[in-house]
Amino acid sequence: MWSTFIVSLKSNLRNKSALFWLIIFPIALATMFNGVFGDLDKAMSITPISVAVVEDANWDNAVGASTLVEALSGKKTGGRTDTSSSKTISSDVNIDVKLLDTTNVTSSAQARKKLDTGEVEGYLSADKDGRIALTVSSDTVTKANNGTQEAGLDVSLAALDNVIDQYNRTSATVLTALKDNPNAAMTRTFWNGISTAANGTREISLTNFKPDAMARYYYALMGMSCLIAMSYMIYTVTASQANLSALGIRRTVAPLGRAKQLVAGFLAGWLCTSTCLLIALAYIRYGCGIEVGGREPLAVLAVIVASFMTCSLGTMIGAIPKLTTGVKQGLSTAIACSLSLFSGLYGGFAMELSDLITRKAPFLAIINPAQQVTNLFYSLMYYDSYQPFIRTCAILFVMSAVFLTVGVIMLRRQRYEHL
Amino acid sequence: MASETTQSTQSAVPAVHVSQLVKRYGDMVALDYFDLDVKQGEIFGLLGPNGSGKTTAINCILALLTYDSGTIRVFGEPMTPTSYALKRRIGIVPQNVAVFNELTVEENIDYFCSLYVPKKAERAPLVEEAIDFVGLREFRKYRPGKLSGGLLRRLNIACGIAHKPDLIFFDEPTVAVDPQSRNAILEGIQKLNQAGATVIYTSHYMEEVEQICDRILIMDHGRHLALGTADELKNMIDTGERITIETLDLPDTALAEIRELGFVIEASYDGRELEVRCRRGEHNLMDMLAVLRAAGVNIGHLTSRPPTLNDVFLELTGTALRD
Repeated sequence: MWSTFIVSLKSNLRNKSALFWLIIFPIALATMFNGVFGDLDKAMSITPISVAVVEDANWDNAVGASTLVEALSGKKTGGRTDTSSSKTISSDVNIDVKLLDTTNVTSSAQARKKLDTGEVEGYLSADKDGRIALTVSSDTVTKANNGTQEAGLDVSLAALDNVIDQYNRTSATVLTALKDNPNAAMTRTFWNGISTAANGTREISLTNFKPDAMARYYYALMGMSCLIAMSYMIYTVTASQANLSALGIRRTVAPLGRAKQLVAGFLAGWLCTSTCLLIALAYIRYGCGIEVGGREPLAVLAVIVASFMTCSLGTMIGAIPKLTTGVKQGLSTAIACSLSLFSGLYGGFAMELSDLITRKAPFLAIINPAQQVTNLFYSLMYYDSYQPFIRTCAILFVMSAVFLTVGVIMLRRQRYEHL
Repeated sequence: MASETTQSTQSAVPAVHVSQLVKRYGDMVALDYFDLDVKQGEIFGLLGPNGSGKTTAINCILALLTYDSGTIRVFGEPMTPTSYALKRRIGIVPQNVAVFNELTVEENIDYFCSLYVPKKAERAPLVEEAIDFVGLREFRKYRPGKLSGGLLRRLNIACGIAHKPDLIFFDEPTVAVDPQSRNAILEGIQKLNQAGATVIYTSHYMEEVEQICDRILIMDHGRHLALGTADELKNMIDTGERITIETLDLPDTALAEIRELGFVIEASYDGRELEVRCRRGEHNLMDMLAVLRAAGVNIGHLTSRPPTLNDVFLELTGTALRD
């Protein structure tokens, strides 16, 4: 049995076609995803904009402007005295996102010069009423409108515009209120109200890990690779059955029980499948930077469970009589490709289809092995609880039991009517 | 004395005994009350046209196929799919090359030997011996994809015989190999037999069977037609001699006269050659030449040859084409 295990292992590892589909193919596809989705992800993120800050007399009169710019530059700010305006600004503004790279200048002329030479993408200045304005060059506008040039610039400009607009409105409100009621500045209620109004949108996470819309594609890719791996067991079963191959005849005539040969082949196939998928997972995780919710050991377990399921499915398909190995291999590829459609591998439409099936016909999603393998990683990424992961593992084990039972029923014959 | 008796009893047990074996594929009868007895230590030839039931018979003996009725015994014991002790004594060289393409020559032989001899230490010398036996030493690290047809056949043989079986089935082992490789294979089979192995050999090449087999069974339509040594089989048929005469001017009357001769079974003329199949007789040629001389026929090259196994085969199984 040991020698059969070793031979099956060698045979699997030297099968160049299988290695291509199980290692090269997912890595190539993941690299392609990374190239396509990587920029998409970047385009949705905020990148710092280089601006010149015109620190002239108007700027000094703009209450809190310097504090705002420091906060947007990622400099930690605390309660400080705005010396320029000789007023104490109570500020605990700390934001995670750096929106500005600043350069200080003393006049608008200097700022415009830097803008013309391309040293900065825009400049911030204040008018005599203390309103801040952002001026950008036409080049910057062109770059922002052309998504392929500087990914994320448009988003950053929009965010900055929003922040400045909010500052100006808040500032105007405060000035108007204080003009009407100078004593209001002495009350805590007034400042609390202003603070609440200025809070804007705060990002909070409801899931175990920060959502990554693109991660699902990589998980679906793992699902497809996993199903393709059933080819190992198709070959193993074909090569051990007298009614399926000459090699099977020779092995059946040998004095080693068929069950032992099949178990040895199954273990070798499981080990090879797990190894190949772990390589693919490692590339996706560390090469493409796709997270698995910080639960890497469980992701390894997920690969082992998924491999067991695909080996069981391969055993069942391999045991189908009267079909050639070529037809079975073709069948396995067709199954992997078609089920991956419903697990969302092929783009936005497929993702919507996958979600639709999960919502409207959950049973179809449950019996789709590609969907369940995708869910294994998905549940690790998004859920705090381990329950969804355990439930998906249980579904895959039930599937495996069904596949193995059907396979064993087909393989149980000791003698055949025909060869 | 007791030991001699036991040994004599053991060798008296046929290596393979098949009695009244019936195997049907639906309405088609593949084996029709088929009988077979192969003695220990002999090379037994199993001959028959395509579809005659040779491979079905072998697969039934090897417990690969179910059968409807009959008895199969190997070395005196019933053969079943779990008769592992018996299986250990059997080797098979299938018609199609059955090896792992991903393994080297040495790894293939070692693996198939390991199914019979699990211990590496016991197996290693057997593998070396098998490699030498089939002359694949310089190719031991090659994978099957890099071997020629003849070398592949030799590897196929090595995988079947490395564990030194007592009974070896060779199912058309020389198909698609060159004459040199064929001779090497046949010599190898004879060596195995000399070393004590019983061999059951199927082939379509009559000269091979005649060359190496001690006894030959001819079967057709799943039935046993004839059994004996090559000479015994030749004596079983009507044909005792085939006479071929080159002539360009044989008149129809002379051909008719030849056909009237008592010893002539069949005579045909194609405008260049007269071919006559005769019964056994001491004066067949003289009598025929007398007819031709009387008709004034000019004779060119003339040959007379005794019947071959091919004649036996065709006479017993007919000349109609098979699948």
